[in-house]
Amino acid sequence: MSITVELTYDLAKALGVRRLELEGTPTLRQVLQATRDSFGTEGATFDKLTRVTALVVNGVIASRSQDTPLQDGDRVSFLKAAAGG
Amino acid sequence: MIKGYAGRILDVDLGNRSFAFRPLDEDTARLYLGGKGYGTRLLYDLTPPGIDPLGPENPLIFATGPLNGSLAPQSNRFAVICKSPLTGGIGSGACGGSFAFGLKKAGIDILIVRNQSATPVRLEIDGDRDSVTFLDASDLWGQGARATQAALGKGRNHAVIGPAGENLVLYAGIVSDERIAGRTGVGAVMGSKHLKAVSVTGTRKLELEDPEKFNDYTKWLRKLFRAHPVLGEKLRRYGTMGIVNTTNARNILPTRNFKLGHHPDAMDVSGEYLEDHGLVGVKSSCIHCPVACGREVTVEGVGRVKGPEYETAALLGPNLEITDLRWVNEWNELADDLGMDSISLGVTLGFAMELQEKSLLQSGLTFGDATGISAMIRDIAHRRGLGNDLADGVKRMSERHGGADFAMHVKGLELSAYDPRGSYAQGVEYATTSRGGCHVQGASMYFESTGPLTIDPQSLRLKAEIPVVQQNLACAINSMVLCIFTTYGMIPKQVHELDPKSRLYRTITYFFERSGPMYRLITKLKLRPLTWFEQWLTYVTGQTFTSGHLQEIGERIFNLERMYNLREGLTGADDTLPHRMRHESTFPHLDSGHPLDQLLPTYYRIRGWDARGVPLQRTLDRLKVRT
Ligand code: SF4
Repeated sequence: MSITVELTYDLAKALGVRRLELEGTPTLRQVLQATRDSFGTEGATFDKLTRVTALVVNGVIASRSQDTPLQDGDRVSFLKAAAGG
Repeated sequence: MIKGYAGRILDVDLGNRSFAFRPLDEDTARLYLGGKGYGTRLLYDLTPPGIDPLGPENPLIFATGPLNGSLAPQSNRFAVICKSPLTGGIGSGACGGSFAFGLKKAGIDILIVRNQSATPVRLEIDGDRDSVTFLDASDLWGQGARATQAALGKGRNHAVIGPAGENLVLYAGIVSDERIAGRTGVGAVMGSKHLKAVSVTGTRKLELEDPEKFNDYTKWLRKLFRAHPVLGEKLRRYGTMGIVNTTNARNILPTRNFKLGHHPDAMDVSGEYLEDHGLVGVKSSCIHCPVACGREVTVEGVGRVKGPEYETAALLGPNLEITDLRWVNEWNELADDLGMDSISLGVTLGFAMELQEKSLLQSGLTFGDATGISAMIRDIAHRRGLGNDLADGVKRMSERHGGADFAMHVKGLELSAYDPRGSYAQGVEYATTSRGGCHVQGASMYFESTGPLTIDPQSLRLKAEIPVVQQNLACAINSMVLCIFTTYGMIPKQVHELDPKSRLYRTITYFFERSGPMYRLITKLKLRPLTWFEQWLTYVTGQTFTSGHLQEIGERIFNLERMYNLREGLTGADDTLPHRMRHESTFPHLDSGHPLDQLLPTYYRIRGWDARGVPLQRTLDRLKVRT
């Protein structure tokens, strides 16, 4: 089972990669943990940069409190509010 | 005359080169404010049904409102109204820059340009001398918007067209400074009149009812704006392109002619990326605006120019499967200088690519390949070769070549860069907005997809209500005339700081989503001025404006636009979305697209329209809409 995690611009900048390909992470909680782990000792940076973000699976907001089951090929993104036009 | 207005309409006839100043009608100003509202009233009254949008009978109306000419932030915008050559319905555009300020300084609320000149002409309006000079513009004809404005000099404020307008590209715009009234082909109407430029000057002072309160309040508000997370931070720092990563995560970023809602490398055309790679300056492109959302970039061979907006970055970027910002910058600059709407341009290019892919047209344009695009943009502006075809927009192209199912337009106006399959309220707004598939006539997506407090964008709850309220508000904003981005400031800082994962956030959105009639009721209340624009209007005009007043005025304008469209032959059947949007899904949990059919009847009912989308007589009577 493969999940793609798309990072926000700030997260990508901090980590040096734009996305992570995670294997064997069947729930959102596990994906989050694995993403945080990839920051190594910089876990606090991850926490700070994801403080006011929502979690999105394939474009749909998911609740972090639930152990949302994921499907093979799902795309998990961090969502920040923005204004454009 | 009500304070805040100059009290004059300048009526120019290009056919016999005459002009007259007429008084602004106070009753109309009370009912329609100014800008788009007053302009639509004039268009309705001045023209018989069925005129040729590119013929002499179509007046081109430049309209300011009571806030223009003041120092209110975001208030230097004018509206342009005419019959649209692209849609056949109401044509309107709004533009920043400095022209609105110039008109008001010249003591003019509204400029009507009628008829056509036989040869290229430009106007110089001197508001202090009450003079209009008709000057030969042959030397400027063929020049880009930048060169034209440079030739006209700095002493006046200008509104000009580029070659796209001259050559009647159906999505040509009107340019002031570095801003453009892009949508619905208002530039083609100006081109049809052989009117290259309008320059205006004057030193008249705008009279305000309570200048002291206005100034104190505005001073205080500027500080508030600076501290606001959107107006003072995000828009300032990233411009509107700061939204790319949000729409991409939401799966609503047009990609491959809206086939998809997500591009893996969209980050490369985001505001954050621009800030790190290639931003050379930040400046407010509209005078007196502290938000300064304009971004400066360098384009090779041209120099420092205004960078792309979100819509442009999305539609000339991922929508074409291009994520090299240098190309997007170049094409944006070309569109601006040639004077055409980059939204319609991006959608038209994407459509031509899909036609090529499906062997319906040998356009020579391919997704993901920048080759030939710059040349094609120039060809469109000059209507050369295949460019002549693309200059008519996707609706007409689909009638010639097929591909109607993936021709991304509503009423002939190409869709903006928010895919409604992941933003249902925005879809209803696109379908019903008088000028066609446009996002700034309500910006409903802010409450469901992009803003700090969003409800489920794919439930049916509140998806008919939000567009009604937002369209009404946008009509009022475009009649003051303010920048629509001002509405982003209505959500306070504290809300922006809420974590979407928190219980409080979920509770608020839960109740908001279920607020239905209560939501509409609250926005209709006429308690006291709350927002800054209600305050400003009150201080400027001396009349009290509240949310309820603005909803009523906006609703009136919206219904008048509707009556204009119906008069010109549009019907409820035009309140639709492209086939792709309704029937193809971009979300794995859904097997269809936007549920417009389920939402439209509710929308009509809330509007006080019948099942065919025609305003009921009692609705028109209640709103005092004369037809
Ligand atoms: S926010 Fe941007 S577009 Fe709006 S008035 Fe200010 S500079 Fe112009």
